[in-house]
Formats: sequence, C-alpha cells, structure tokens
Amino acid sequence: MTELLLIVAYISLGIHTVLLSYAIWRVWNGENPIDRLLASELVGTLVLSVLVLITLIERSNLFLDVALGLAALSFIGIIAFARYAADRRMF
Amino acid sequence: MTTILEILAIIAITIGTAFTVIGVIGFHRLPDVYTRLHATGKVGVFGVVLLLSATALVTSGAWSKVLVLIALLLIVGPVTAHALSSAAYRLGVPMQSPHRDDLQAMMHQDGRSTE
Repeated sequence: MTELLLIVAYISLGIHTVLLSYAIWRVWNGENPIDRLLASELVGTLVLSVLVLITLIERSNLFLDVALGLAALSFIGIIAFARYAADRRMF
Repeated sequence: MTTILEILAIIAITIGTAFTVIGVIGFHRLPDVYTRLHATGKVGVFGVVLLLSATALVTSGAWSKVLVLIALLLIVGPVTAHALSSAAYRLGVPMQSPHRDDLQAMMHQDGRSTE
C-alpha cells in the first residue's frame, strides 16, 4: 500500500512543478505590478506545497521546518511589497 | 492498520492537488486582479492544508509542526489577500465591470485619496 502513496505523491509533485513553472512565468509578464506580486505569492505557496510533498515522500520532519520558515518569510515579504507598491514609501 | 491511514492520506493528497490545480486555472483565466485573489486564496488555504493533513496522517510525530503550519496558513491567507487588494485599489488598478464600489465613498470621506 505504501508504494501507491508514493506514486500518488510523485504524480502530485509533477503537477505541482508544472503549476510552479506557469506561476514563475507569470511573475515577469503579468499586466500590472500587483498581478506580478500575486504571482510571486502563488509561487511561494506552490513551493510550500512542494516542500510538504517532499516530507511525505522522504518521511523526514526536516522539510516541515523549512516550510514553516518559508511561509512566515513569504508572508512578510508580500506584505512589505504590497505596502511599498501602494504608498511608494517604505515604512 | 497502517493502510487505513494511507488510504486517507492518498485521498487528502488528490483533493489537495485538485484544489491547487483549480486555483491556478482560476488564476490564469479570471479577468482582473481582484477576482484572481479568490483563486490564489483557495490554493494557499485548501491545497496546502489538505496536503499537510496527509503528512500528519502518514509521518509519525509531525502533527505538532503540522498544526502550527496550518494555523499560520489560515492566518496568512486572508491577510495577504487583503493587503494585495487594498494596494491594488490604491494604485488604481481598474476593476472588470464593477457592480458595487463601496470603498470609493469611504475613501474620500477620511481625506486620503487613492493616489
């Protein structure tokens, strides 16, 4: 039964890489700056789910800590960028 | 006994990946920034949380980290969506066929114009 779980995890990983490549392509040719910011947030979320899938495959808790750090940092980055884009001054 | 947990994990993975695919398709097809925020919000919350629950079922002893991550994600999703939409509105990003624009009246009341 465990190999079925691995097969499903690998298929999901493949789907995530395809979505990730689309989101990364969308980062530099969205139609306005907020759209590109949104694409970069999507990239952060997709990388987070790829990390979670890797913890599923490798069965090691290390990647969950990486995912936690990534989620926190991408959140702060997105808020800082959105605030800078809106007011044109940093803080 | 372990197969039951793995069956549940397989179901959670497929549903999570389906949500992620639907979210990215929505991100591709929806007309303007504000509606696209719905799509990426779904990806961030439903897709990843279901995958996390699958890892909680399968890996031993990881449920504490998974709970922290799920709590963080449920807080991060709406806050970033709100920040992005208010930034887009202040930048004057056009809405696609807007039916209601409540912020317009509120915005000029407190003296801060959109620019």
